[in-house]
Amino acid sequence: MTPFLFAQARFPAPEFDTYRIPELVMEEAVFDSSLLRAGAIVLFMLCSGICFYRLRSRKALLLLHLLGLVVFGFLFHACPCPVGIVQNIAEGAATGAPLPLAFLLLFTLPLLCALFYGRLFCAGACPLGALQELMPGKKLHLPPALDRFLRLGAVLVLLLVLVCAVAGIGFPLCRLDPYLPIFLRSFNHPYLWLTVVFLLLGLLISRPFCRYLCPYGVLLRLFSLLSWKKPIITTHDCINCRLCLQGCPNNAIIAPENDDSPAQRKRGLRRLELLLASIPLALALGGFLGYAAAPLLYPQHRAISLEQKLQRAESALTVDAYEKSQRPAAELSAAADRGRRVIRTGLTLAGLLFAAWVMAELIVQARRRPEENIHRIDHTLCFCCGRCYQTCPLEKPRLSQQDRKT
Amino acid sequence: MNRRNFLRSLFTVLLAAPFALRFRRNKSVLPGTLWQIDPSKCIQCGKCATACILRPSAVKCVHQYAACGYCLFCSGYYQDNRLKFDTAAENLRCPVDAIERTYIEDPYFEYKINEDKCIACGKCVKGCAAFGNGSLFLQVRHNLCLNCNQCHIAAVCPAGAFVRVPASRPYIFKSAGEAK
Repeated sequence: MTPFLFAQARFPAPEFDTYRIPELVMEEAVFDSSLLRAGAIVLFMLCSGICFYRLRSRKALLLLHLLGLVVFGFLFHACPCPVGIVQNIAEGAATGAPLPLAFLLLFTLPLLCALFYGRLFCAGACPLGALQELMPGKKLHLPPALDRFLRLGAVLVLLLVLVCAVAGIGFPLCRLDPYLPIFLRSFNHPYLWLTVVFLLLGLLISRPFCRYLCPYGVLLRLFSLLSWKKPIITTHDCINCRLCLQGCPNNAIIAPENDDSPAQRKRGLRRLELLLASIPLALALGGFLGYAAAPLLYPQHRAISLEQKLQRAESALTVDAYEKSQRPAAELSAAADRGRRVIRTGLTLAGLLFAAWVMAELIVQARRRPEENIHRIDHTLCFCCGRCYQTCPLEKPRLSQQDRKT
Repeated sequence: MNRRNFLRSLFTVLLAAPFALRFRRNKSVLPGTLWQIDPSKCIQCGKCATACILRPSAVKCVHQYAACGYCLFCSGYYQDNRLKFDTAAENLRCPVDAIERTYIEDPYFEYKINEDKCIACGKCVKGCAAFGNGSLFLQVRHNLCLNCNQCHIAAVCPAGAFVRVPASRPYIFKSAGEAK
């Protein structure tokens, strides 16, 4: 028999006459479906590509959403999903934490797809998106300015989540994910109220999580900027009826701007100059705010909060566990120092990046648009829902005719 | 090659490069990982019973018989302030009566965990570690665990006893040689 590492042998094992000491048999882990899921995601992105670009049918896309919800939400393990794997990638890259191959595939495949065919991942292959897309009810149209402002939330979430993962705070996104309790069928979730709030919000607003909070959506937006294939609303000449604009609840349709008077141009130029001049100021402000916000994140870090509790001589379970473990104090203070350093630099960088993002968006807004006279889809924001095909008066008869033929 | 194509290939390379570097550095990261409790760090706070998103928890008490003393008066089985050594609920440590005690031969008894009843409160583990051999300990059972990306117990474990283990060695047993 092997010697015990930490079990105290106060009472030696007795010698029995007939009784045999049972062996400890433990179950194997359940089958890990991650690789299979990566394959299924490719298949679903292919299907949604066909439904969106070829069939141009919202019905088919909704069916695909339903299928995706069942397959990725309930048949497979819903966790980890590409949205949460953002954190594994950051942690793995920063600390060398284990990063399974399946995670890498789950993370990169949708991004590669976005690089060529736009955000097809959001249309069917993502259980979170599918759940929100299938929410019934007439969706509110938020004013474009408010929509743009709220969308900054996703960038903020991405940066915060990356800082947390790199600093070793854990994966806050996976703990707070509002839809995960549904997929895990868990009513013991600490943030179940968030689920209720987001389900109710989903009845009023189209895809509230995807648009305003999803960190993976930010990456998909960036990658789909260079997307090769772009959706067009109608193959005919656009008659500028504005129906698609009103039909899109995701504010993903760009309307032509007709005001190209010299006065307007002058105003635009002035605004652009102002924005360009204020870039250094904005960056400095962002960096400073990030740096100043660092102490807010300290209590979430295990070593830092433990050190604080030890200093204040508080009684807590973590303190008991630390004293029992008899770890050297130097180890703890080193871990706390590292945590503080990472959080501080991480948040400063995050502040800088956030400011840069805000400025870039403002500049893109302020720059002069190429002269157009059609409504087109902003493919970086488009969730490939197919609503605009349905509302377009030129497209609808064509599609229904196509249906009749096939 | 136009600008867009150039940028796209640049993006692809930038995306792939860190991963390629990673894999060259550490090849052992390929298979999946699972959450497990390191029994040497566990302080039996009882959070495993309440923090798991599953109810009852995916953590269960495990009895390593080879380390057990088969005591007549097991400190994992009986309360500290018991009135009598009998099977009345007020004298037993387990709140859900998950420990089955069977007579083997004088004066030895076998203690078996009924995993259908066990809620992973860790009370017996604490009692056994305090006065006995420490043959009882808590483990995440992988036939139950959903393997969340962020384990909800790990997030609140005061001892930091939850670690990611390779899927090929899913349990951390108490003896050195028996670790699978």
